Amino acid sequence: MLSNKIYIPKNKKKIRKKIFNIDTIVNFEKEIFNIYNQGKIKYPIHLTKGNEVQLSEIFKYIDKKDWVFTSWRNHAHALLHGLPKNKLKKQIITGKSMYVSSKKNNFFCSSIAGGVIPIALGAALALKKNKSKKKVWLFVGDMTSMMGVFYEAYNYSRNFNLPLEIVIEDNGQSVYTDTKKTWNIKKLKYPNDVFYYKFKLGYPHHGTGQWVSF
Amino acid sequence: MGEFLMTYFGEINKSMKFMAQKKKILFLGQSTEVPGNLIFKSLEGVKKQKKIEMPVFEETQMGISIGLALNGFIPVTCYPRFDFFILSLNQLVNHLDKFEKISSGEFKPFVIIRVLVGSKKPIDAGLQHTQNYHREIKSMLKYISVVNLKDKNQIFPEYKKALIKKRSTVFIEYSEKY
Repeated sequence: MLSNKIYIPKNKKKIRKKIFNIDTIVNFEKEIFNIYNQGKIKYPIHLTKGNEVQLSEIFKYIDKKDWVFTSWRNHAHALLHGLPKNKLKKQIITGKSMYVSSKKNNFFCSSIAGGVIPIALGAALALKKNKSKKKVWLFVGDMTSMMGVFYEAYNYSRNFNLPLEIVIEDNGQSVYTDTKKTWNIKKLKYPNDVFYYKFKLGYPHHGTGQWVSF
Repeated sequence: MGEFLMTYFGEINKSMKFMAQKKKILFLGQSTEVPGNLIFKSLEGVKKQKKIEMPVFEETQMGISIGLALNGFIPVTCYPRFDFFILSLNQLVNHLDKFEKISSGEFKPFVIIRVLVGSKKPIDAGLQHTQNYHREIKSMLKYISVVNLKDKNQIFPEYKKALIKKRSTVFIEYSEKY
């Protein structure tokens, strides 16, 4: 089913009706944008814009106690999964933007493409062994969804019926490398039991696109 | 009472059986459940439900170990050759080694890693099965300990120490000494 440009697999149920206004994400990223431009963050940042609606919709399927694993562009995911704004801001300012983490919120990121995939798989295996009702949510980009490690984890999780939900976030590129062009494909193919959405990133890959004196 | 003379293999097997007593310990890797290499032999006496036979996906195996550790398990992740183990380095070097630091101390996954150096005697297993990158691995890891198990007397105390201190450690074992 495609709605709001999101593909939602069959038989998925929403846990929450509303999380919060998407302006919270927009305003948070604007605040980080401004702090960065003042030269107060001497580390890489990866801001997000253009996928707030899709993410807000997808997080309605995610329980607060579930694990969420994602990548370097994670501020919106962190907010939607319940990380307090101040804690998130502190991690960003102290150089942890690419790997925002929270034990309390079961939230972890990696700045290596595909890095969280097998870790998420292991977390899902642990949940099954513990007979937990929680799930693991794994967010990957379009280029990462073409990596070998993605298919290893996908096959293993499905063959063992592990509680691993996958979301492919397709902005058509990795940094500025075109996914379809480099793989010589016309359309990205993805399994029909994963979430998928397309978006155009409203910020540069990293930084703010402005000259900043540090 | 005379001292029981333990062999290198005996010390390894004793260490594995000791660790297996812990409720949350799991042994992962190829030939943990079925014969095929010395990993299987080293786990003699360890209950089947403590073992997870893995497909051949070295990096994924290391990542699975980290994910299990994040949820309270103590994975003993086993690689029968150093040559195969190096395929897991993304998860070891970029993730497990840096996990505590990059997560601002939020997560401290504890994983025990076993790596066997392939033997050259009586049969030389060849260039792709007998390499020992012990020094290279040690230089690549900032926070994880590397223990080179050259001497049988080190084996049990070192495994026990890692388990008690809950410190992720790479143990290098030598097939020729088994």
